[in-house]
Amino acid sequence: MRTLGEYIRLYFIIEAQYIKARMQYRADFIISSIGMFFTSLATLGVFWVILQSVPDVAGWSLMEMVFIYAFFMIAISPMQILFDHAWQLRFHVQEGTFLKYYFRPLNMMFYYMSEIFDLKGLIQLVMGIVLLIYASIQLQIDWTLLKIFLLLITLFSAALVQISIIVAASCAAFWVVESYPVLGLAWKLREFAPYPMSIFDGAFRFMFTFLIPIGFVAFYPSQLFLRPEEVSLLVYFSPIIGIGLFSLAYWIWTKGVNSYTGTGS
Amino acid sequence: MRKYLPLIRASYMVSLVYRFGFLFSIIGNIVYLGVAYYLWKSIYQGRDVLNGLTFNETFLYVGLGSAIFILLKTYADWIIHFEIQQGTIATYLTKPLDFQLYSLFTNFGAVLMNLTAITVPTAVVMIFVFKVQVTSGIGLWLFPISLIFAFLISFSIDFFVGLISFYSESVWGVTATKDIIVTVLSGGLIPLQFFPEAMQKILYWLPFQAVYHTPLMMITKADLGWGTFLPMLLLQIAWAIILLIASRLFYNQAIKVIRISGG
Repeated sequence: MRTLGEYIRLYFIIEAQYIKARMQYRADFIISSIGMFFTSLATLGVFWVILQSVPDVAGWSLMEMVFIYAFFMIAISPMQILFDHAWQLRFHVQEGTFLKYYFRPLNMMFYYMSEIFDLKGLIQLVMGIVLLIYASIQLQIDWTLLKIFLLLITLFSAALVQISIIVAASCAAFWVVESYPVLGLAWKLREFAPYPMSIFDGAFRFMFTFLIPIGFVAFYPSQLFLRPEEVSLLVYFSPIIGIGLFSLAYWIWTKGVNSYTGTGS
Repeated sequence: MRKYLPLIRASYMVSLVYRFGFLFSIIGNIVYLGVAYYLWKSIYQGRDVLNGLTFNETFLYVGLGSAIFILLKTYADWIIHFEIQQGTIATYLTKPLDFQLYSLFTNFGAVLMNLTAITVPTAVVMIFVFKVQVTSGIGLWLFPISLIFAFLISFSIDFFVGLISFYSESVWGVTATKDIIVTVLSGGLIPLQFFPEAMQKILYWLPFQAVYHTPLMMITKADLGWGTFLPMLLLQIAWAIILLIASRLFYNQAIKVIRISGG
């Protein structure tokens, strides 16, 4: 067993090499960054257009929605940057190239995911941070040390929730040949995370809170800073939810890895 | 033309392999419909009309917009990209086929598959679960015609973007930018009537609105009559012709830079 410290050191060594290699394709990085910029802003643009016609959505103003959206952008960045290789899992599994990951004395998920460090995700992270600062100034949020601590904790938990959903969905590749739609669905659901969950009722609220808990990616934790008086008690469980979901996703991954038999070629 | 028709059938059959995937696409779209329903419900909040649209009309517009999005999502840009990257495009160049027409007809097969497997079920859910009402009018008859031109425009844009792979390695960036521009500025996510007026004026002259806004208006405001729909349809036809020609010219240009490693 390697220690966490060793893994972190290893990760930096691997990614330093990866980034050097990627920098050969500078145009690719620039074009992807532009794509990331527009993709990140699409849903926010939709909110902006809607709020030209009405003053608020279920009581949430544009600036509050910008805050929630900024939180969302930061929270999904670790998934985008560190776990982007999840998208290629189905190709590796189908073509048998996944076998190579069994042959290193490393944690397999670590080894597999470390192969891609998605640089364009950094654009999203930076945009999220800038927007979060902008929105907090506009909303006059008073950042105390306690609040900053809470922000870091909730962001960490939210990131784990998002990572778990994508990793678990990508693992479908171990059992079904055409697994892209499963990941596609998980990806589509992610788009609803920055919506104010208070607009939903009944089955939808239940689904986004308990079944596919995207409410914990942005809306519930943001409430802690925007409207502490309305906050749902569930937010205080978000670290447990995050860690619990990640354990579940890791368990699914392990099951998949153990059941994989290669392609026989 | 006769040699291209079997391509429609062939690509329809190929799509049939991915039946499992359609289930997830349908689930995804039903969830989207639900989200859109609640979102717009809370936007209307008791208001009867916003920007000339009732809640029912807006929901019909947005919901049907998502169905058209899936209908036209044939990944033509990605397929062309892979064919260029892996060099398989060479096999088409040696055949007595026109590559643009070949792509067009294979895509049409995929669209037909999407229509039967996803778009029709979505429409059924909208009518029976969400109980949207459709007013009758001339627009309903023009809708299928308009949809065909929407397909031609959408295909031309995808074909164009796919061809960029001749020059650039990064397809993700170009495709993602295109997807966002096409869906947001076309009425694919929000009715164009909700945009600020100055923006609307520009958007109506861009080709993107012809993909979503034109066919969607024919369903949501079917009773508007020829005076409104004829100019819209003519503009759409003009864009379809312009873009088909433009992407063809680009193809003739791009094909000259092709370098495929042997083997």
